Amino acid sequence: MFPTDFRYVRARSLDEALDLLDEAAAAGDEAKLIAGGQSLLPMMKLRLAAPQVLIDIAGLPELSGGGWYGPVAGGHLSYTIGALRTYRELGRDTLLAGGLVRGRDESAPPHQAEGIPAVTDALAVLADPQVRARGTIGGAVAHGDPAADLPAVLLALDAEVVIAGRPGRHEHKPGPPHHLPRAPRPGEEPSNVERRTMLLDDFLQGIYATDLAEDEIITHVKITAQGGRASAYEKFPHPASHLPLAGVAVALTFASGTLTDSGGRVTSLSDGSIASAAIAVTGIATRPYRARAAEAVLKGAFPAPDVLAAAAAQVARAGDGTELSLLGDQHASAPYRAHLAEVLAGRALARALARAESA
Amino acid sequence: MPAAHEVYVELTVNGEPRAATVPARTLLVHFLRDRLRLTGTHVGCDTTQCGACTVALDGVAVKSCTLLAAQADGHEVTTIEGLADPGAGSLHPIQQAFQDEHGLQCGYCTPGMVMAVRQLIEDQPDPTQDQVRHALDGNICRCTGYQNIVAAALSAARSMRDGAARAGGTDSAADPAGGREG
Repeated sequence: MFPTDFRYVRARSLDEALDLLDEAAAAGDEAKLIAGGQSLLPMMKLRLAAPQVLIDIAGLPELSGGGWYGPVAGGHLSYTIGALRTYRELGRDTLLAGGLVRGRDESAPPHQAEGIPAVTDALAVLADPQVRARGTIGGAVAHGDPAADLPAVLLALDAEVVIAGRPGRHEHKPGPPHHLPRAPRPGEEPSNVERRTMLLDDFLQGIYATDLAEDEIITHVKITAQGGRASAYEKFPHPASHLPLAGVAVALTFASGTLTDSGGRVTSLSDGSIASAAIAVTGIATRPYRARAAEAVLKGAFPAPDVLAAAAAQVARAGDGTELSLLGDQHASAPYRAHLAEVLAGRALARALARAESA
Repeated sequence: MPAAHEVYVELTVNGEPRAATVPARTLLVHFLRDRLRLTGTHVGCDTTQCGACTVALDGVAVKSCTLLAAQADGHEVTTIEGLADPGAGSLHPIQQAFQDEHGLQCGYCTPGMVMAVRQLIEDQPDPTQDQVRHALDGNICRCTGYQNIVAAALSAARSMRDGAARAGGTDSAADPAGGREG
């Protein structure tokens, strides 16, 4: 099997890639961007996708950078990840996996990174090692697959998508403050590239449908390290495709800080109650979604078994408590997927809590 | 540079520079097999699941049925034919372990298994049995001969560690002959 005939071109810069998208559109050709190609090429080989032009963006330097920034609101660190980072690279990233990190200043003591276990959980069970060596985080987000693993984790981490395009073409929805783009340095050519930032939750729209326009390119994905270690991802994989029949990511934060009253008495607020819970589900609906009804059960509550079970029971419901429209197919019916999501939510919560206690 | 139906690709395969003009839709596995006649890399499922087409791209195991030859332009590819040191006249320790442990039945998946095990041992020189099975998630043996494949992977890791230890003192880790006698 091989794809239908197409024309191929390798872009050398973000600017050139945007030009190539415009050229294809002007000629009436369907163009697709390819980086790792681990989702696109299988679809092209099955002739489910048949673009006339393939623009290879694998070498673009503008999509490769990234690093920790912050703290942002709430004191959490924010991590900007270049869209071309592969699952394999991310799985070996000390900042995400946790461990000693050295800065550029070699005389400074190393920093102990907490890591974000939900991310490494997903990266260990996503597809297989060879696919993880090629697949990229930008592709995971751009593809809009309703059963992708990583978007669930990214949703739970309040991820944002940074999108590049030509100035003035797309509406900028006001989002949280961000660090991109930087101002051009003196002597640098003025940029003909404009970036917009959007919450992943707004970006994902449906089955293979996202807010990405045909003349835009995802450059970065930003995540926030909410609560450090108290996160987890659990999935029930289809045995052949490894796609999740259901997958659940959770990230918890706990009440913290102190209150000092007028008499100088200090009261600790760290009583073990949950300050915030982020729960995201994939594989069971038309897109990965935040289970806000389940989150509401946990907010401000103590993580007792009955509370966790009550929250898990809500994962297949929308924020207003109504039933979501769920997917079912020959592999698993909609009610079975909903059942899996509830069980997996319970497991993910237990794992995240165990990690919080061991930290 | 405009988009084109034909693409000139230049890559290093098993240490040798190779170049050709190919249709843009040529998959790397077909380039290797049909153009270069390196037929050790197999096409199994052709749907990114079975791993029979596994090669190393810039030293990392990938599925060559899910990679365009054009994407490999400028990169280095190692196939099963390039795994053993040609000067040594013997098998690579992983190949030797597959022979010793009878880590194959029909042999169709074997080149891909060997190339996946190469990656596993590079990442985890002393893997547990669970780690071996997890690392072979992307490789399917339709004969279901996994028991001996896992045994071969563990044995290969052992012999490569022993080889590295024996060569210790000299510049051991990069010694291509390390572990060959095992």
